Amino acid sequence: MSDFLISSFTIAGIYALMALGLNLQAGWSGLLNFGHIAFAGLGAYATGIVIQAGGSGWTGALVGVGLAMALGWAVARLGRQLGSDYWGIATLAIAEILRTVATNEGWLTGGAQGISAIPSLFDGLPRPWNAVAFLALVLAVVAVAALALRRVANGRFGRALRLMREEPQLAACMGYDLKSLKTRAIMAGAAVTALAGSLYAHYMSFAGPDYMVASETFLIWTMVMIGGLGNTAGVLVGVLLVQAAYSAVPFAKDFFGFGSDLAGALRLGLIGLILLACLLWRSEGLIPEKLRKIPA
Amino acid sequence: MLFSIRSVLPGASLAMALAGAGFAAHAQETVQMGAVLSLTGANATVGEDVRRAVGLAVDKVNEQGGVLGRKFAVVIEDSGGNPTTALNAARKLVSVDKVPVVIGEYSSGITLPMAQYLVKEGVTHINIASTSVKIKDLGATAFNLIGLENLGNRFSAADTWALGYRKVAMIAPNNAYGQGVAHGFKEEFEKLGGQVVTEVLYTAGQSTYRRELQQMSRSNPDAYIYTAYGQESAVLNREAFELGLRKAPWYAILLSMSLSDTPAEIAKGQLGMEVGSVYGDAGKAYAAAFAAKYKEGMKTSYTGYAYDAVMMTAAAINKAKSTQPAAVQAALKEVGKGYVGVTGPITFDADRQRIDPPYAKLKYDGKVVPR
Amino acid sequence: MLQFLVDTALRASDLALIALGLSMVYGLVKFPNIAHVQYAMLGAYLTFFLRAAGVPLVGAILLSCAVTGLFTLAMHLLVFRRLLRSGPAIAMIGSLAVAMLIVAALQGVAGSFPRMFDLPLSAPHEFADARITTTQLLTVGTTGLLLVGFSLLLFFTRAGRAMRALASNRALADASGLNAERITRVVNFGSGAVAGLGGSMLALSTGAHLNLGHDLLLPVFAAAILGGLGNPLGAVAGGLLIALTETVVTNLNFGFLFGKPVAFLPVAYIGAASFLILLLALLFKPYGLFDRQVRRV
Repeated sequence: MSDFLISSFTIAGIYALMALGLNLQAGWSGLLNFGHIAFAGLGAYATGIVIQAGGSGWTGALVGVGLAMALGWAVARLGRQLGSDYWGIATLAIAEILRTVATNEGWLTGGAQGISAIPSLFDGLPRPWNAVAFLALVLAVVAVAALALRRVANGRFGRALRLMREEPQLAACMGYDLKSLKTRAIMAGAAVTALAGSLYAHYMSFAGPDYMVASETFLIWTMVMIGGLGNTAGVLVGVLLVQAAYSAVPFAKDFFGFGSDLAGALRLGLIGLILLACLLWRSEGLIPEKLRKIPA
Repeated sequence: MLFSIRSVLPGASLAMALAGAGFAAHAQETVQMGAVLSLTGANATVGEDVRRAVGLAVDKVNEQGGVLGRKFAVVIEDSGGNPTTALNAARKLVSVDKVPVVIGEYSSGITLPMAQYLVKEGVTHINIASTSVKIKDLGATAFNLIGLENLGNRFSAADTWALGYRKVAMIAPNNAYGQGVAHGFKEEFEKLGGQVVTEVLYTAGQSTYRRELQQMSRSNPDAYIYTAYGQESAVLNREAFELGLRKAPWYAILLSMSLSDTPAEIAKGQLGMEVGSVYGDAGKAYAAAFAAKYKEGMKTSYTGYAYDAVMMTAAAINKAKSTQPAAVQAALKEVGKGYVGVTGPITFDADRQRIDPPYAKLKYDGKVVPR
Repeated sequence: MLQFLVDTALRASDLALIALGLSMVYGLVKFPNIAHVQYAMLGAYLTFFLRAAGVPLVGAILLSCAVTGLFTLAMHLLVFRRLLRSGPAIAMIGSLAVAMLIVAALQGVAGSFPRMFDLPLSAPHEFADARITTTQLLTVGTTGLLLVGFSLLLFFTRAGRAMRALASNRALADASGLNAERITRVVNFGSGAVAGLGGSMLALSTGAHLNLGHDLLLPVFAAAILGGLGNPLGAVAGGLLIALTETVVTNLNFGFLFGKPVAFLPVAYIGAASFLILLLALLFKPYGLFDRQVRRV
């Protein structure tokens, strides 16, 4: 049982990293990135491919981060006057293209069956401790990322992003290069997410194309929106809540004895319902963004 | 800020711990093993069929007095038709239910990563349906009951050559299984002097395969060789009919899998091969018991292998007098020496692979029958 | 050659109605509704269940269109109108939630196994080298008729003029005396009904399955964006272009490059081909191919 808890928290931690990356783009910069999971996929596959070619896990993670940042740069440059909702659909299309490539180019990515037997970090340790060590690593990375991002949010860059989100023309008038802000925000978010992808590949010992399905991006969006768009702690709360709901369903299934179709439906429906309820009644999320108000 | 995370953390973990504790208490009274089956997704028909066989085996074992004096149960998890869900299911079986043996899945692309995980954890894996040759190299705790595709491809190539086909077009799913079959069949067929003019690997889960079929028809083959998962195969077969491609013969590798969801009027006239389904008196008795319990016969050829796997595991646990994975493994090797299964005699070689697994030549005539 | 045209027409008619509905409604509500493709899936499942309950096929389709239209209207009134007050981005994310709920509800009720319509099997009709079945002929025919009818409605009736006025400038249209809210409701109902029809007809050949909506998402949006969101007939033209691209790409024989008699691009990449076209269109003509409006640069 403790194994299962450790496992749930590890996965929650990995999703937390991805959610933090999305928060940087969607929360602070107001960029509707619906292809976010592609960054994680690049991280996972880079790790898998590099390790299969004989490299080390570190190299794989670095390559993944580099590739994701390159993709982020390309995506940010897409479309000069592209409205935010159009851009969102374009990012969705890019993620789907990458997934198609991953499914079909078997010589590179192992095709539909993916890359397996990726060594889990800490394999040398005896059985319960390797999982605990991995969890500790994930939590450490999440903590570092969260604190670092919070520093960024409260600094000049974060303020510029929020200005770009609320009043882009004012930001341009004040001399900010909107294109550059957008690019940097996306690249930073991509880097954090790619790291999460690498960790996930090590954890599952597997990297496959179903890591990059669109519903994964939607799941991360839900986590961010429920917890609080634009608020670091809010995002972490959102991740825990959604992960708890997600993990509770298989237990409920065994307890109440209903079928797997219903369990799958319940998982998806629960997430959708929570998201909708949140949007209708508390669209800022459980822990809304703290904006400093200048006294009138 | 950190305060709010801390307040949620204990609440969530307490809820999960309580659920798990109640769960674990229940598990003490029964001896359990695990099964990961495709209960949802393209192969749901096969998954359900295999689940029935597993249910039948559990009833038989409990009738015979259970295992180690206690009730026997199989914890069945859904693989969802994708490796990630299957891996999570396997993880749950290993860490929460603590089973010594897991059987499954169906598609090689799912069985391989899942079995690799199980081997890493030291848990025994019994392969009951996947045919990729990579199954042989999974590791020290992996057993296999079914013929792998190197043998299967040799059989199909010889069969199709004997039927007179010389120039064929192939279509198979774009995954570990399909890629293995396509390349393996091509190799064997070309050794005999035949030619595979088009080789199409289709992506699973599409709602139409017209374009793939049209690409294949362009090369004017003598026959179409195909293998496809039940529900996708239904679409494929129907569209082949609508495109007029059924004028040429259609040969299915793993016929009952490919036709499990295809309506009879479209399936009529197809030829194919399959892993052997039931054998001898034990097989006949099994088929009768299956039909009696579920009011209809088996739809696919894989049920017998699952039945044998569950029975052999129960026997191994009894022989080892323990549910420790290592002990059960050793006992399973002992049990697998001339075990009389419903799929025929089972003997494992030094690599825990089954020696001389059965195959059958079949055709569809209202239902799948031997040729 | 004829089979090529047949394939293009079939694929275009799969997308046309649903893209039309999407574009039609976008003109009025100004946010991309991701749940729209799920309405098509809902229509497909409803038709299946009605037919299974004994209603004849045509009646089942009509009834399911009406129910889908009503459902779309309900979603607009209960959910999207409220969310739009917070802006189109929130409404888009809300449509994401609604899409998830529709898929979850259908999975819970209908199960994940695809439901095939057991239509009478008949040999295809052959014209030269093309083959087409009766069902496919009826589908394409119905789609064509509906498109003609819709164009007539849009350009030759008062209601159509009102729709176009509302789409181009809502405030002015409202001020000129058009009842914006009523027209929006009617258009919502219409777009839902049309999506349900498109989904039902698509399901006649592929069966009602849980991925029906998701598989349509990108092609339908690509078609609608290519035609310019808010330009319903442009969406149909966009759909035709996408269908043409997909058919060309999978029929080109690259055998001469590899020295083999036949070599084709793997069919899995046709999705990628349409998306690439979408991306290129977004880069150079973000407001659609038929955009003639003057915008500030």
